[in-house]
Amino acid sequence: MTYTFTTNDFLLMVQGAGITFLLTIIAGVIGTFMGFLVGWARTTKNAVFYYSLGAYVDIIRSIPLIIQFVLFNSFMAIAGYPMDPFISGIITLSIYISGYVAEVVKAGIESVPDVTRKAARGLGMTYYQDFFYVVVPIGMRTVFPSWTGLMLGLMKDTSLIAVLGATPPELLRSSQIIINRIQEPLMILLGAGAFYFIMCYVITHFAGRYEKIWQQKRQAAL
Amino acid sequence: MIEIQEVHKSFGSLKVLKGIDLTVEKGEVVCLIGASGSGKSTLLLCINALESINSGKIIVDGIDVHAPQTNQDQLRRKLGIIFQQFNAFPHLTAQQNVALAPRKVLKTPTKYAQALAQEHLAKVGLGDKLDRYPAQLSGGQQQRLAIARALAMEPDYLLLDEVTSALDPELVGEVLDTLRMLAEDGMTMIAVTHEIPFAREVADRVAFFHQGVIHEIGPAKELINNPQQQRTKEFLGNIL
Ligand SMILES: Nc1ncnc2c1ncn2[C@@H]1O[C@H](COP(=O)(O)OP(=O)(O)OP(=O)(O)O)[C@@H](O)[C@H]1O
Ligand SMILES: [Mg+2]
Repeated sequence: MTYTFTTNDFLLMVQGAGITFLLTIIAGVIGTFMGFLVGWARTTKNAVFYYSLGAYVDIIRSIPLIIQFVLFNSFMAIAGYPMDPFISGIITLSIYISGYVAEVVKAGIESVPDVTRKAARGLGMTYYQDFFYVVVPIGMRTVFPSWTGLMLGLMKDTSLIAVLGATPPELLRSSQIIINRIQEPLMILLGAGAFYFIMCYVITHFAGRYEKIWQQKRQAAL
Repeated sequence: MIEIQEVHKSFGSLKVLKGIDLTVEKGEVVCLIGASGSGKSTLLLCINALESINSGKIIVDGIDVHAPQTNQDQLRRKLGIIFQQFNAFPHLTAQQNVALAPRKVLKTPTKYAQALAQEHLAKVGLGDKLDRYPAQLSGGQQQRLAIARALAMEPDYLLLDEVTSALDPELVGEVLDTLRMLAEDGMTMIAVTHEIPFAREVADRVAFFHQGVIHEIGPAKELINNPQQQRTKEFLGNIL
């Protein structure tokens, strides 16, 4: 008896891709927000922020994500707050990516020349006005490509959530389920790769569009 | 009126200002000259509280700049500052550059702020460059943009830190012309400059900085044509 690739298998993969995309978006948004605050706090002259959040960033970036998934999930269970693996996975992913975003945000803020900030303050702008109307728009444009890269990495890292057995399965786990049944790894993995490619393409496409708008605005003025 | 009294300022163990006394009256133009590292830029930054001081006092229109209760953000509105390095906001057009601070700081409605920006850009000769981004402007144009941006806050004083030093020689003239015009309009200015002929022509007084103190100060033509102190003579001799 042979097993074949059915419509249901295809739908399982589509669902998996949807879960992967959802995980990326949710963890991307939460992690970017957290990372922004962490990165920003590290550029203030507060030594407590600088060192404590520096440790946060270092720890997150040095421990493999798969270990973080398991540790966080087990820790919550031991602490008496067992969590749905899906939820605990999203939290872990968000914290994980926030460590990387924090460094990118910090680099963006520090890329703005001191004299530009002095000029803004010299016009009477407050710290926050300088930060949000001058530093953020300038710095974030500089590091936007790095941030996009982080989000693409995040999308692929979401597959590690499988270690928790989170359901519904994301794309890679869905593919493995199908492979186990029909024993056609190459075809299925090729298909999964295509799904990943399409989703990454969507992200790069929109990121590229956004960058082009900035450039066109400058060129149009010529 | 800006009153600087016995101001001392150090960066760590480096003493940069060692007792500066200077009073600048409304409508006066004072040029600061002196060797590199003598503390001229630092003094300007201290006047509008972009740097703190260690002791002494700076009083602007009766307000003690470095007193803890002083709202320094508010105080800076009346003290425009322009730097040597280009520092236009690169993500904004010329017009948006000038309109930003009035919009955010003074809460001027955008429409009025844009009109204000147009007016000030026209005044510095950039009336046809409203929609240009800083990267599309020459150095001289960027410095005039910086001047227009400061003027849009309608400051009572301008602090100018070697605003022509980063410019190609052929662009210096246009910026100096703009400053000349401001001086004629009665703007009070403290200008750090290496343009001695400009200082002689435009300044009311010139102060020679040497190692953190004002070594000699006097009416512009007198001090430049006929300096009394040996160090001033040497400095002017080298630069002219
Ligand atoms: N933020 C700072 N931290 C540490 N040292 C500083 C800082 N700013 C200036 N200094 C030092 O203070 C001294 C005076 O600097 P300042 O910029 O005021 O000199 P200046 O008279 O403007 O010189 P120049 O003509 O080269 O602009 C220099 O030795 C400089 O290295
Ligand atoms: Mg200087």
